[in-house]
Amino acid sequence: MRKVTETDLPGVGARFDIETNAGRFVGVVAHQTGRRDLVIYDEHDIDRACESVELTEDEGHTLGELLGGSPMLEHLDDAVHRLEGIVISWVTIDSKSPLAGLSLAEAALRTKTGAGIVALVGDSGSIPIPDGEKRLEPGDTAVVVGAPSAVKAATRLLTRTTP
Amino acid sequence: METGGDLLIIELGAVVLGLAIIARVARRIGVPALPLYLLAGLALGEGGLVELPASTEFIEAGAEIGVILMLLMLGLEFSARELIVNVRRSTLAGIVDFVLNFAPGFVAGVILGFDPIISGLLGGVTYISSSGIVAKLVADLDRIGNHETSVVLSVLVIEDLAMVIYLPVVSGLLFGGTVLSTTLTVAVSLVAVIAVLAVAYLLGDRLSAIALSKSSEALLLTLLGGTLLVAGLAGRLNISTAVGAFVVGVALSGEIVSRARGLLLPLRNLFAAVFFVFFGLQVDPSLIPNVAVAALVIAAVTIVTKIATGWIAAGRAGIGRPGRLRAGAALIAHGEFSIVIAELGIARESDLGALAAAYVIILTLVGAVLYQFSDSIPLARRKRLIGDASR
Repeated sequence: MRKVTETDLPGVGARFDIETNAGRFVGVVAHQTGRRDLVIYDEHDIDRACESVELTEDEGHTLGELLGGSPMLEHLDDAVHRLEGIVISWVTIDSKSPLAGLSLAEAALRTKTGAGIVALVGDSGSIPIPDGEKRLEPGDTAVVVGAPSAVKAATRLLTRTTP
Repeated sequence: METGGDLLIIELGAVVLGLAIIARVARRIGVPALPLYLLAGLALGEGGLVELPASTEFIEAGAEIGVILMLLMLGLEFSARELIVNVRRSTLAGIVDFVLNFAPGFVAGVILGFDPIISGLLGGVTYISSSGIVAKLVADLDRIGNHETSVVLSVLVIEDLAMVIYLPVVSGLLFGGTVLSTTLTVAVSLVAVIAVLAVAYLLGDRLSAIALSKSSEALLLTLLGGTLLVAGLAGRLNISTAVGAFVVGVALSGEIVSRARGLLLPLRNLFAAVFFVFFGLQVDPSLIPNVAVAALVIAAVTIVTKIATGWIAAGRAGIGRPGRLRAGAALIAHGEFSIVIAELGIARESDLGALAAAYVIILTLVGAVLYQFSDSIPLARRKRLIGDASR
């Protein structure tokens, strides 16, 4: 965890700041009322809030989840891994992948790596348990399931050009 | 009697409508409305453009309620714990603030030939910044997140708390007789303040729970009645009604606070405006030319000493030069407390009222403008210094 500086704001609430590796300061003002302000500090005057965005409690939660990745999915990943020795991975299909554009049957990912694709997520929506005719469109996300080494190999195939 | 009643309503309507116009103008040109309310009060009443024979008495009562509501709302902002933590953390800044800003008023009072107690009141007038105006400026300019803002708020809290001691002491001095009886009065009032604060600290939660009601009407009446009663008793004990109301605000905590704010805010806005008008009414505008030069000089000196206070306090918190200047500029605005203090001595020294009115009008306007534009003031080596600080 990064070091968070907490400062009391009497009558208002509290302010929390972090300094990024690049030397910028970002903070949150937590009002007693539940309101949150997202604050970005000026590059040249690090004490000045050059941007301050007012968020309701709900908006703050949403933004927090977006910034923290998706804790729900990470938890799921961990649980499956621990219980069954299985990995679930979300892989974005690269246009340079040798499998890009092929149908699932043509790609034969399971035969090549031992890992299977249990869902495809793209602009047109998500396809759970896709059949062999569905295509691996570049930019779509494939949900890959299998043993850790199999998922690793599949990920390599879907994201990289052949060496 | 019938016509008298009508006249009262007509005068009140005209005054309040006049204040409405002032509030709109202030908003349009981007300055606090308080100094303009004072000006309106100066223009009215004896020696002014229009006298208010029927409504002055009512306005006077409204003004007292205005002070009580302002202080109650201020107290609601803080919890007892917050106050204690703050005093521990910012004692030094608080002392610097007091020394630098009490002195100009006190010395000026002595030079002007006021007696020591009135000089002490003038010292109080120059010491205390307006937490109300400053908090509003900070929010309006979106500077709550700024690093120096925590320093500014801490200084303001200590000033407000200092009033809890200062007001009973000066009331005791003003209304006491012999040295012995005065000392006794002051001692009694200080003990009473501490006792009330202790009760607030220990029983605040329980009192809040008792006062809470689902009915807005019942809650409003409970808050208003309870606060007026405590404030009135505090006034009787020479602790000052303002301090009594502040302590009630501090004592309340939890759910009741947010509901109380919502219920009391409209009332506060009305009666606070009435308070400033009433203060203006009491001041004879013909005295203003006599004190204008003194007010300008004292204002100029305290602009410098307040900026120095903010500069030092923010510097101790590790804040860069532009932030230190902003902290100083934020503290310039004087307002409600300065007027509350001056009002104590107005009967004894009418020049004090005129001086305080002129002083507050100048400082509030200058303070609002300086704080707004403090970022445009170029500071030597600004960028380099800040760049260094972030590495």
